[in-house]
Amino acid sequence: MISESLITERGVSAGDEWITVPAAQIREALAALKDDGYELLVFLTCVDHLADASRNWPARYELVYQLRDMEKLRDIRLRAFIDGDPPEIDSASDLFPPANWDERETYDLFGVMFTGHPELTRILMPDDWVGHPLRRDYPVGGEVVEFSEEHELWQTAPDEA
Amino acid sequence: MASTKITGTEGVTITKTGQQGAFGGELLTVNFGPHHPSTHGVLRLIVDLDGEQIKRLKPVIGYLHTGIEKQMEALRWQQGVVVTDRHDYLSPPINNLAYALAVEKLMGVEVPPRAQVLRVIMSELTRLSSHLVWMGTSGLELGAMTMLMYCFRERDTILDMNEEISGFRMHTSYIRPGGVMADATPRFLDLLATFVKEMPGHIDEYEDLLTMNPIWRARTIGVGILSPENAKILGATGPMLRGSGVAWDLRKNMPYSGYESYDFEVATDDACDCYGRYLVRIKEMREAVRILDQALNRLPDGPVNVDDRKMLPPPREELETSMEAVIHHFKLFTEGYTVPPGDVYVAVESGRGENGCYIVSDGTHKPRRVKFRSASFVNLQALERMAMNHMIADMIAIIGTADTVLGDCDR
Repeated sequence: MISESLITERGVSAGDEWITVPAAQIREALAALKDDGYELLVFLTCVDHLADASRNWPARYELVYQLRDMEKLRDIRLRAFIDGDPPEIDSASDLFPPANWDERETYDLFGVMFTGHPELTRILMPDDWVGHPLRRDYPVGGEVVEFSEEHELWQTAPDEA
Repeated sequence: MASTKITGTEGVTITKTGQQGAFGGELLTVNFGPHHPSTHGVLRLIVDLDGEQIKRLKPVIGYLHTGIEKQMEALRWQQGVVVTDRHDYLSPPINNLAYALAVEKLMGVEVPPRAQVLRVIMSELTRLSSHLVWMGTSGLELGAMTMLMYCFRERDTILDMNEEISGFRMHTSYIRPGGVMADATPRFLDLLATFVKEMPGHIDEYEDLLTMNPIWRARTIGVGILSPENAKILGATGPMLRGSGVAWDLRKNMPYSGYESYDFEVATDDACDCYGRYLVRIKEMREAVRILDQALNRLPDGPVNVDDRKMLPPPREELETSMEAVIHHFKLFTEGYTVPPGDVYVAVESGRGENGCYIVSDGTHKPRRVKFRSASFVNLQALERMAMNHMIADMIAIIGTADTVLGDCDR
């Protein structure tokens, strides 16, 4: 069982159960949940809350881990908030093997550094790419398209960001 | 010892590693792809070979990365459907379904029963067409050329049905948040009834060609073993997991769209090898036909969309008589609708495994984040485990039965 002292917030979003844990203790929390039966890491990703007014977010980046207990048919979502440039968090690739590529993807697209990952390299973008495309301050159309007469940048982040 | 490059032909680079192999030779690093025809797209593999044996295998992906998740953030909620078609290009309606279910769950919308059944029909047709492409191309790679002709013949019937119901043969965008694009036409239901009647005979035909075929058996039995424990640890889903004897199917274990009310079995096989995965897909095709038959018989009358003018446009005839309808129409196509803040994850069973959609809304008319959990991306990580110590020719069978779609993998 995951100890209550690790959980800073819990709730249910549209029927999905979730808990928030401090980013520094993410490995403890994941290991506790794994012992508890949540043995499958469905996915791991990041959400960029730059200029997100829907709530008072504790930090810019939110790491999301979706775990599943295949015996008892239940899911749980683990959240951890991190800031910094680059944002850093401990790697879970030794606890859950599928996290290996997911963490590489999150590093590639968000620039989150996973400490202890065996091979943190870009996976979807070319190795020599500059920038992390899924950050909200990275514009759509950030790459110049050849032969286009009017090149236009399309911002997904609002102007105040 | 520094590695030396010895030969280089188009697409294949060979490097000596300096490590000693078991047969007295040196280990060679060979680069396959990304344009190798057996990789179903653009998958690059870096393989360390001892003679012809694989000692290390590293998949390199990303050649089909199209930034779909980034595009979704710039599109309104109802526009995003079109993009979901394009990541797993062999099963567009199933991807539409994952996205539509996620948006509906966040908005707390329940679609009418007729739409539910039409969604199941489209999902199962897609599963069949996806397995047909898999079987045709895998047969082709392992020397059974005829399979491609047979499988694409039936797939074409399915594409004709797609065209009849949605106007598009491949990227249908048929399933949308709030319901489906349009009601099924009588001709579609006729085509479907004929298809359901004829398909079991065609599946028998494929089995006649492959199941007891000595070459097919020699190429697949005992090749690419993935034990149930490893499959679970590596997070494999779909036929990869069921081919290892684990009865896990989201349609059964975590049902959606009314799958709990259909009578079907979860196809599994204990062989754990490429042949087992082939048998699982054959069984799954038979079960899909059974589900289609039940769905066709129970198809209820009624609307196919939720009656919510804030989410879906009013019918065309209302626009000429009602000012309110014109306003709704205008608001919907200029601004779109908003989704309450929050996040949700919905998973559906595609032909390849668990394809899920995780969406985060910040309360505006565009998503804050859309993440597609793709089965190909996770299943591909098991490739090294399956191909270890096999001959290089077996690798083709293993990639084939893993059934990765690189568009799904790279998104």
